[in-house]
Amino acid sequence: MGETKNEYRLLLPLLPFLVIVPYLALQTDSHSTDFAWLIVVAPFIMFPIILIIGQVFNKNETWKNTWKEGGILGLAALSVSLSTTIWIVYDYLIGHADITNSGVDSWLEWISFDVLQSDYTIAQNRILGVGVWIDSLTLMLLFVATFLCFLICWFAIGYMTTDPINEDSNHRFFAEFVLFSLGMFGMVLADNFLWLFIFWEVMGLCSYLLIGFYYWKDSAAAAAKKAFLTTRVGDVFLMIGLLILYDIYGSLDFAVVFDDPSTGIGGVAVESGELFWALMMLFIGAVGKSAQFPLHVWLPDAMEGPTPVSALIHAATMVNAGLYLVARLMPFVDIHHNGVSGLEDFGLIVAWIGGITAFMAASIAFVQNDIKKVLAYSTMSQLAYIFTGLGSALYFLNTGDHHAGYFVLGASLFHLFNHAMAKGMLFMASGSVIHEVHHAHDHLHHGSDHSDHDFDPQDMRNMGGIASKMPVTSTAMMFGSMSIIGIPLIGGFWSKEGIIAETWLAYFHGETMMLGPAILILATAGMTGFYMSRMWFMTFAGQPKSDVVDHIHEATPWIKEPLLILTFITAIGGFALATLGIIDFLSNESHHLSLHGHSLQEQILHELEHAFLPEDNKLRMVGWTTILLSFVIGPIMAARIHGGKLKEGQKANIFVGWLVNLSDKFGTQDVTWLAESQLAEALDKRLYFDDLYEGIIARTVIPFAELSAWFDKNIIDGIIKQIESNSVLGSVQIRKVTTGNARDYILMATVGALCIFALLVGVNN
Amino acid sequence: MSYLPLDTAEAELIIPELIMLVGLIAIILIPNFGDATFRIPLSRIKVPILIGGNRFKLTSNPKLPNQVSLLIFSAAFFFGLIQTSYGNVGDTLEVTAFSRIFTLIFTAALILATIATTHRIPARTNLKVPTDNDSETITTKKIDALIDNRRQVDFHIILIMVGLGMSLMSMATHLFMLFVCIELASLSSYILVAFHKETKVGGEAGMKYFIVGSVASAVGIYGMSLLYLWSGDLSLDALSSKWMESETIDPIAGIAVGLMLVAFGFKVGAAPFHLAAPDAYSGASSPVAGLLATASKAMGFVALMRILITVTMPDSGEAFWFSTIAIISIVTMTWGNLAALTSTNPKRILAYSSVAHAGYMLAGLAAIGSGLASEEAMKLVLTAIIFHLVVLVVFKFGAFLVLSLLETEGRSHQLEDLHGLARREPLIAGSMFLFMLSLAGVPPLSGFLSKFLMINGIVNISAGTGASDVSSVMDWLISVEPVFWLAFAIVLNSALSMFYYLRIGLVMFFEEPENTKPMKDAFSLRIAIVLCALLTVIIGIGPLSDSLLQMVNDAVDSFISN
Repeated sequence: MGETKNEYRLLLPLLPFLVIVPYLALQTDSHSTDFAWLIVVAPFIMFPIILIIGQVFNKNETWKNTWKEGGILGLAALSVSLSTTIWIVYDYLIGHADITNSGVDSWLEWISFDVLQSDYTIAQNRILGVGVWIDSLTLMLLFVATFLCFLICWFAIGYMTTDPINEDSNHRFFAEFVLFSLGMFGMVLADNFLWLFIFWEVMGLCSYLLIGFYYWKDSAAAAAKKAFLTTRVGDVFLMIGLLILYDIYGSLDFAVVFDDPSTGIGGVAVESGELFWALMMLFIGAVGKSAQFPLHVWLPDAMEGPTPVSALIHAATMVNAGLYLVARLMPFVDIHHNGVSGLEDFGLIVAWIGGITAFMAASIAFVQNDIKKVLAYSTMSQLAYIFTGLGSALYFLNTGDHHAGYFVLGASLFHLFNHAMAKGMLFMASGSVIHEVHHAHDHLHHGSDHSDHDFDPQDMRNMGGIASKMPVTSTAMMFGSMSIIGIPLIGGFWSKEGIIAETWLAYFHGETMMLGPAILILATAGMTGFYMSRMWFMTFAGQPKSDVVDHIHEATPWIKEPLLILTFITAIGGFALATLGIIDFLSNESHHLSLHGHSLQEQILHELEHAFLPEDNKLRMVGWTTILLSFVIGPIMAARIHGGKLKEGQKANIFVGWLVNLSDKFGTQDVTWLAESQLAEALDKRLYFDDLYEGIIARTVIPFAELSAWFDKNIIDGIIKQIESNSVLGSVQIRKVTTGNARDYILMATVGALCIFALLVGVNN
Repeated sequence: MSYLPLDTAEAELIIPELIMLVGLIAIILIPNFGDATFRIPLSRIKVPILIGGNRFKLTSNPKLPNQVSLLIFSAAFFFGLIQTSYGNVGDTLEVTAFSRIFTLIFTAALILATIATTHRIPARTNLKVPTDNDSETITTKKIDALIDNRRQVDFHIILIMVGLGMSLMSMATHLFMLFVCIELASLSSYILVAFHKETKVGGEAGMKYFIVGSVASAVGIYGMSLLYLWSGDLSLDALSSKWMESETIDPIAGIAVGLMLVAFGFKVGAAPFHLAAPDAYSGASSPVAGLLATASKAMGFVALMRILITVTMPDSGEAFWFSTIAIISIVTMTWGNLAALTSTNPKRILAYSSVAHAGYMLAGLAAIGSGLASEEAMKLVLTAIIFHLVVLVVFKFGAFLVLSLLETEGRSHQLEDLHGLARREPLIAGSMFLFMLSLAGVPPLSGFLSKFLMINGIVNISAGTGASDVSSVMDWLISVEPVFWLAFAIVLNSALSMFYYLRIGLVMFFEEPENTKPMKDAFSLRIAIVLCALLTVIIGIGPLSDSLLQMVNDAVDSFISN
């Protein structure tokens, strides 16, 4: 495990796959969008291949060592998806393809059918097809999804195949992972709500399978069930929402619906009341998928059972699905472009849900000691930021201030990008830490019982001072945390600033209801500063808190590369993209990335000025408060409690060394009294939400479920059994006619012929 | 060139049939090629005449006929596929898009049958007929060996005759020609069923099938003679215009059509004329059973469509056979599905399932006969019927191919033979499961698409007939035209059929196999099975289904315009 030799030769099979897309791209007059189907089809083909080969050859040495139990095949499929995506993104960013008239590209018509309407007449031909819808939102999410899925698959090859407990069944993981990727890509590319929903459910299924990967563990099985059922609640509402939409517009195609959202089927003006409920239902679906209050309970549990890898794909990719759905709804409310007015309440609700979740998740993260759970709650909290941003975007677009609306929409989606990259990297790094701690523990207690229940490799109270042992991981985690916190100039700062400022702007413009979310997310900014710093300090700074730490080594190569790539993107991607005007691009204000006619220097200065010294005085106040809270107060508090020098003789690298030393400078503070307070306990119990739900479910759903189980067993099954036994009886009877004697057959044929005559004569007289 | 019966243009139209005709002669000759010579009298010059003598190594290869007939059918299929010109051939044949798609159905089924027999009949020599003195085990062994090797050539000669008869019948425009072609195909298929005459079931099944079939044929030909009595001309055009002219239906003509329904009802396996079919299927070898379930069924439907739609369908109003066919269809599908429920022989299950499928297609015909259909709706239903016949070749024959694979190492007449197939042969079992799902009509497989088109068409025909001002569902159901109930019957029957289709999946995946060794390495058969499974999926969803539906649409257009 620890010593892994260079295995890059294993990547050779990837080469033919990597050639496919450049070959297509170099063909004259080939358009990238014409090949968008490759993104979905590549994993679709690979999924059964991995599963079948894995099932047949799962003991084979070549399969295990050279093909990494299907990991290489999965990586190959994802490399096709990724390279196609990069081609498309490239085409759009440099302006080859024009985003304004890209829209639909239907590449498959499955079934066309006539619809019987309620007045028993036949409506026009409806076509159930699959198509591709490409705009800046699709591009961004597609890139995030394909890129992260590719890196996660790479990471998983290193992580999964060295894990001894899933002996010989990793092909199941890779197959499910590839199917999951397919669901995500398909959902992003779908050109109608129906296929979006179908792929959404594919993802839901795979998330169930992946969380429950170690199905023999009770905690994993329970977590899988919990995630599945909780998201299912949202999905039911999502489906209702789709039905209402269909009722309004008579179609679920984006092209039809978004063409003119203010006119429904048959040219009737759309009522804002009905549309409001449709949007609300869709939003509840998104809340379930993105783990927002009150359907947030599944995400932390999803971390509990299985691997960091599945944690990764949930926290970094799948949860974005809900955000994507809400962002898709913008045209409905955009009164600048034929939207339906009178829906500002919807925006407020979205913003409030976001604000509440952000605050709640951040406060729960204060007391978590499990490194992955801190990240899980941080994910919830950051997603909630984006929801708040989208909520204000909805509000602005619906009240007519489309400049502010587009800006905050762009900022929110940009935050989605930054967060996905940073969080993907953080989960990988935490996986790397856990992996090594676990390994070091096994190494230390060699020969003792393998399943040592007293030691938890995910508990940060067993870590401390790892910075010197794992230079790459600790650097990566530092940049990731900085991006999440929103340290100026790094990653998430550029987007988070925008969201907070615009939410306050909505309040300043006279919407008092916006004050709540605005205050909540401002406070959360400071809390983020605290809990992210706390996590880093507890893990990497200070004295080692267990003997395990001395035996830790840096991770294997398969784990290192994705970390480095993501660190780079996280560290400078935010600034670079902000300078290139990503926010305008994401909100469809501009059609490709450019410097807007400025020189690079001017543009950088412009961005800096915009970020630190906005013209509006009030916004300047908000901005600097945010920076103060998140940059100064939060981290310093964390440093006082958890910071400290490394053990004597240990040295961290220059990227993180300064931070470790700095954390020692602020003195220490004893917070035992706070940690033992009832508040801390309440937070530790996740604010009793799980208990509450459990109580409610035990009192309502369970008795009802028992009732329906009884009904099912005795009434429904009884009827079915009756039908079955009658059918079997009938079957036995009717087969008696087939005597095996030719004369009987001829007799029957004669009887049949006579019946035919009787019928022909009888009917026609 | 008057000494040829065909001119070049006509010959070009029937290239696939000519290929089969030439192939028929070739396959009789080729295995007889040898080094025989003929000495010219009064000289010593020996002229090699090739026929007879010691056979060459190549021509004595027992696998040769199989390869030759595979080549012939593939060539016929290929030329049928690329054909674009249509027209009359002589007075009694007309090549249309309609006939062409049926040629493709027949040749495709025959290709599959040929592939399936490649490994079923391994090449062996020195076989002896069992005598009375042999012990029981030796007798069985000898019989098995005989089944494996005997009469290779005969089998393929008959197979080509089946193809020729079926293909010609689909283009016949004259009732007499139609009947002769059907008889050519039928008599050949009786022999195919009885091909394993040494075994008890084989001979018995063939005999039964022959007796019942010939009675049905006799009844049909009697009906035809009555029709001739009434019309004086048996060409379809003449019959159809005579039918249009007559105000009321002449009793003679009515009885004639009724009698022909019996004959063709037997061919498609409609109740109560289907009874010999399950026996025939289970007695015959699986490739032959597959042929009966797909090609033979398609042939019966061509005949039915010619009689019911081309000849006797009135321009407007209800056809006089509407209620008859409707009742037959419902009885057929219910009977087939019910009887399949408790069957334990996979071949019988498939036989009954094909009876049920015949019921679904008859329901489509009945819906057309209701006279409510607009031209569009009628086309839709006809498309559904033909499309169903096309896709049956893929998944019904696919299922029989799997049974053929089972037969290569033993028998396939018990459900136990399928036990644990998934453990022994995951790919084959997966394909079989796919075929079962497609037969049951599970989306997105091709079986779903055809069933969907059928139900969609029938509902379409009945749409707008129910009262629109009723208050409850029941009232509406009472007021709606009876055609609607055909769709309802199909849906109910599909639910019923799930029970036995899934049972096959159940035993394959959840029962313990008797032995876990993989089966014989029948390479081309495995390829064919996997190919069928792939087609089952991609004809159901994807661009291929579009182009296939387009072909079927063209066929329907050419059929209606006649």
